[in-house]
Amino acid sequence: MKGQNRLTSQTQAQEQALTGQQTQPETTREFATAEELLRHDALHTPVPPRIANRLQESIGKSVPPAGPWWRRLFREPKK
Amino acid sequence: MNATVSAPPTKSQCPDEGQTGLAASEFADLYTEHSRAIYYLALRFLGDASKAEDATHDVFLKAFRTREQFRGECSWRTWLYRIALNHCHNLQQAWHERHVLTTADESLWERAPASTDSPLRVLETKELGQRIQKALDELPREYLLLLLLVADEQLSYDEVAALTDQTPDAVRGKLHRARKAFAIHFQKSA
Repeated sequence: MKGQNRLTSQTQAQEQALTGQQTQPETTREFATAEELLRHDALHTPVPPRIANRLQESIGKSVPPAGPWWRRLFREPKK
Repeated sequence: MNATVSAPPTKSQCPDEGQTGLAASEFADLYTEHSRAIYYLALRFLGDASKAEDATHDVFLKAFRTREQFRGECSWRTWLYRIALNHCHNLQQAWHERHVLTTADESLWERAPASTDSPLRVLETKELGQRIQKALDELPREYLLLLLLVADEQLSYDEVAALTDQTPDAVRGKLHRARKAFAIHFQKSA
């Protein structure tokens, strides 16, 4: 992509050497397009686990009963 | 979601496609496979982590309730995106909050979920996300949507075009302008 579309984001190194050296200097990461940057952002944006829990509860509540109580009460026995 | 044994369904694997949709257990796999894409779309489109959370929940709940209507004419991902886009558009029309969020979003990033346990990494991610959101907020809604959809490598240009009710050529043309606009605003946000 051309210069205008070349996006940069600075990332800071987070690992320290076992020898006690200083944190590594900032590094620059380049993204060729906006989509590439968004893809990177999406990968580092986790889905809150609460959503799955809420969804499970909602789905549990939305499952319809087997049928009206009177139909279950007077259901013909299976042959 | 409950753990399931079956593999995530694909368009070609969906049982009785066009007739019965997915079983509840398979729906859990569908959530696992597509929730990140739907959540990210909602997050960047709505610009609010808590609203994105609600929207993602609502989208998948609606998908679960209407899964029998899935006819296999598109991929599950495209189908979920369509539900998500309709939902997000409705939310925006109802709330009219967009202009407020762009100036009062400092607290939003504090609530945004972190990606790693590393403090440095969390800080970097929050800052990058904030820059991205600021740049996206400056774009016309159509450009924002195109960029978010095209960024998903699982969607083809044809699918993006179908989701946005235009031709693939129109998508390509607008995408070029959207990229340029985003790059300008992203550089400004530095």
